[in-house]
Amino acid sequence: MSEALARIDPVSGSAVFANGVTLTLVEPMARFSLRARQPEALEQLLGFKLPRKIGASLDCAACLGPDEWLLRAAAGTKIASGSGQPVSITEISERSVCLIVEGARAAEVLASGCPLDLDRFAVGRATRTVFETVEIILLRTGEDRFQVEVWRSFAPWLRTALETAALQLR
Amino acid sequence: MSGFRLDQGGRVDRSRRVSFSFDGATYRGFAGDTLASALLANGVMLFGRSFKYHRPRGLLGAGSEEPNALVSVSRGPGRHTPNLRATAVEIYEGLAATSQNRWPSLKTDLGAINDRLGMFLPAGFYNKTFMWPRSFWDKLYEPAIRRMAGLGEAPSEIDPDHYGAVYAHCDLLIVGAGPAGIDAALEASGTSKRVILIDEQDEPGGGALDDPALWSWLNESLKDLAAAPNVTVLSRTTAFGYYHDNFVGAVERLTDHWAEIGSGPREKLWRIRAGAVILAQGAIERPLVFAANDVPGVMLASAARTFLQRYGVAVGKSVALMAAHDSGWRDAFAHARAGVNVAAIIDVRETIDAALLAEAQALGIAVRLGHSVIEVHGRLGVKGMTVARNDGSAATRIACDALLMAGGWTPSVHLWSHSKGSLAWDEALGAYVPDRPNEKVRCVGACSGKWNFGSGIVIDALPTPRNQARIKAFVDFQNDVTAKDIHLAVREGFKSIEHIKRYTTTGMATDQGKTSNLNGLQIASQALGRPVTEVGLTTFRPPYTPQTFGALAGHAKDDLFQPTRKTPIDGWAEEHGAVFELVAQWRRARYFPQGGDDMHAAVNRECRAVRSAVGIFDASTLGKIEVVGPDAAEFLNRIYTNPWKALEPGRCRYGLLLREDGFITDDGVSARLTPDRFHLTTTTGGAARVLNTMEDYLQTEWPELDVWLTSTTEQWAVIALQGPLARQLLEPLVEGIDLAAEAFPHMAIREGTICGVPTRLFRVSFTGELGFEINVPAAYGRALWEQLMNAGAAWGITPYGTEAMHVLRAEKGFIIVGQDTDGTVTPHDAGLDWAVGKKKPDFVGKRSLARPDIVAAGRKQLVGLLTDDPAVVLEEGAQIVADPAQAIPMTMIGHVTSSYWSEALGRSIALALIEGGHQRMGEMLHVPMPGQVIRAKVSSMVFYDPQGARLHV
Repeated sequence: MSEALARIDPVSGSAVFANGVTLTLVEPMARFSLRARQPEALEQLLGFKLPRKIGASLDCAACLGPDEWLLRAAAGTKIASGSGQPVSITEISERSVCLIVEGARAAEVLASGCPLDLDRFAVGRATRTVFETVEIILLRTGEDRFQVEVWRSFAPWLRTALETAALQLR
Repeated sequence: MSGFRLDQGGRVDRSRRVSFSFDGATYRGFAGDTLASALLANGVMLFGRSFKYHRPRGLLGAGSEEPNALVSVSRGPGRHTPNLRATAVEIYEGLAATSQNRWPSLKTDLGAINDRLGMFLPAGFYNKTFMWPRSFWDKLYEPAIRRMAGLGEAPSEIDPDHYGAVYAHCDLLIVGAGPAGIDAALEASGTSKRVILIDEQDEPGGGALDDPALWSWLNESLKDLAAAPNVTVLSRTTAFGYYHDNFVGAVERLTDHWAEIGSGPREKLWRIRAGAVILAQGAIERPLVFAANDVPGVMLASAARTFLQRYGVAVGKSVALMAAHDSGWRDAFAHARAGVNVAAIIDVRETIDAALLAEAQALGIAVRLGHSVIEVHGRLGVKGMTVARNDGSAATRIACDALLMAGGWTPSVHLWSHSKGSLAWDEALGAYVPDRPNEKVRCVGACSGKWNFGSGIVIDALPTPRNQARIKAFVDFQNDVTAKDIHLAVREGFKSIEHIKRYTTTGMATDQGKTSNLNGLQIASQALGRPVTEVGLTTFRPPYTPQTFGALAGHAKDDLFQPTRKTPIDGWAEEHGAVFELVAQWRRARYFPQGGDDMHAAVNRECRAVRSAVGIFDASTLGKIEVVGPDAAEFLNRIYTNPWKALEPGRCRYGLLLREDGFITDDGVSARLTPDRFHLTTTTGGAARVLNTMEDYLQTEWPELDVWLTSTTEQWAVIALQGPLARQLLEPLVEGIDLAAEAFPHMAIREGTICGVPTRLFRVSFTGELGFEINVPAAYGRALWEQLMNAGAAWGITPYGTEAMHVLRAEKGFIIVGQDTDGTVTPHDAGLDWAVGKKKPDFVGKRSLARPDIVAAGRKQLVGLLTDDPAVVLEEGAQIVADPAQAIPMTMIGHVTSSYWSEALGRSIALALIEGGHQRMGEMLHVPMPGQVIRAKVSSMVFYDPQGARLHV
């Protein structure tokens, strides 16, 4: 018996909130947590460059910490396991979902619960942070466009929180 | 002049009349009025009753420092706000305000009997008098005192309002938009700095609002600031606290001043991180301490000037001034120039600046130097005063209907102190001023002690020929503390202001002593005969002014109170009528009632299905950590009590985690996938804590290990299939895994696919039956569950919840960390010696296991407990005694940790922590319960299938 099982996501596809802010659930993708003391160890194994600076992103990899990168790629992408190497490659494709918050006032919506200084958070930046009590990874992909990676069980709460924040912009 | 509103002047909009009510009576004011200025304009002097003595009280101040005029504002169900300062409530059409702490009415308050009994109600009275008998306190004394003494009533309905919140960042935050704050903002407006200027009043300007000469400057300045793109000006915003790293909390009031509140948020919490902070909070005038200085109509001179200049309201028709400071003279002159009769200027000082004397003479004001007020006449309002020379002679009565006090100024150093900036005593000002900063902050203007209000003398209380013990000269108006109370505290031996404060309650009211602290200090200093600096200073704490709980809670209510984490399978459980329980932030299906099942019936049915056929259970909430790297096994070997290095890939092991103190903190089954990759599981509630603990050890104790931890709790949905038919059900659905008993034994893991999706399939059991835990990528959890339900229908598959899971594991004696352990249970106590690696050189907690107390006899140990009457199910938490005939209080030797009806055994079972439990096997113990004593026998913890025959099939 090998019929494919249906995927179910914790939040629905897309929505338009108040004040021109839209929220879109990103299609499924492959995600990997990459860890190593030396990025070269991973680069040799994977065959692509990793960003060096914490908070920087390069193609589909974002540097989240001194020894940590988040790799996001097309769904189904397989990469080396790193077995035997001084690295850790762990698949976390389904751990989180990604919400795109977009609109001229997107940064204001995020600032309602995220303590980062978004004026100083340039396009291309990526970092682990929080929205109120919920951990997120925030990526700025455009002046008015943010991606929010959130663990799936927190996604419904976060969606409601963002919707409420958008509604209450003045 | 008609009534108390002047014919002209003030910043109110005389073209917009506003009607409102106070205690049911309707009044009219102008747009721009506060409740205080509008009522004053209508000749209302009486605003409230005092906290303890129920004395009539009017206005003392004109701003947020007001201690007396506390009112409640109601605007519909759930929208009742008590304890608002009338001086800070803006009027709007239809505003309905009421006074507080009076019955039956503000003018006739029966509680005022306390004032007559005043001599019997000294400081510490309640503590001294109502101590005995102890049992009277809860039921009689405290409720009665609460009824008599108090503030407004707390709202009893749910607050329907929304409260917004925002994080803001700026390079420069300026608190206070008076002239000093505005100047600072103007200076920064030409830079590239992001500037936020906040002010608590309804319009920026601070002290400039009281001085018409500054209004054109103010208008121009505000225009410039509005035009500056880098400056944000926030009015009606109170900076209530200053925290580490220039983090300032502020609340913006958005709708309280609107007649129609609309649907937006009522208030907004600003969490501001600033590069630098300028505090321009100004200074607050100090009252003077003399007999009956609280009669309505006695107020701060600066407040009277504010009402006059800003609101166009005279506080009386004939006002007098009692001064110890030059600034009051200027306030009196302003009144005279506005056409208000100034009955007299009394100054405690013997000599005064000639220019002031000349101006008083020019304005025709009678002046008495070296005099003090020794009594104020009138009860509901000032009718006059008696003044005397400072030596007590020449007492004279002077008629007036308002008395202004000018006692000098106190810089507002509250936020400075929150930031842990130090203070220096300024003898000339008689006040503490900012000294050394602790954050990147500086004070400007009056809050730094720099003002041009002239000079004055510092005096603890005005001289009086009267018996100090017979007069009420108030220091703390809100908490009704008099000079006499502070003297009493000193006489009774209190030497530090911290103790005097707690004994007399001075400075402990909602105004935090804004007008009283310095006078209280001066009086204590005089009474103790020690300088103020040796008496101490009480601590300033946030909030600067009272804030609503709503603003602090923000969105965190109803759906947004906190995230309720749901598993991928939660929706199915909900659709199938599951009863849920919360476990940490997760909600889990507790049982699945069918028809009219109660919990007992449902759990029994679920347990029977697992023992006789197959049950299906959502275990997705289990914490999961992927431990990867060349040193993964070494890491686990150090973290867990048992050996991990020899574990073969493809096999699982039970891991026990201790704290440094040797007590059990978590457990779980973990699998070795490859030589350098482990899949750990933790308890549901312990997931985050365990990951943090492990990360902590890795980063601080063993940084040399090449191993990394990744939380995979949410990567996987986990479905447990448990029961003798589990393998038959699973076999046709799985590819790439041989499920045969010899190929896939108990405590093993295999990777393959199930229904076409990849799986990590564990053969493990928390029930004692043949069992599997199927891990699939979370998005497929629900669909797989449904497939299993379909495929299992023929086998009698039964979903079971956490309650049945608890029963099944208890039948096998499997502990639940946190239920059967309480943070004081060692592996030996829990009967888990087998899980401790005796030959390991070290593991977290190992050393503590050798401590004398840990190896001593008589520790509480986990054992089974079987009641004499098999139908009786013990209460969890019930205490256990050895001898039920002993006298009360009995010696309790332990308690029940888990207790259930076991359907499989047809009787009750229990686990209990009992002193020396392991040595008591077979002993009969007793559980005293209301109405009966239950007999129970100590037994092994494993009640069902002790040989484990059902597991290894």
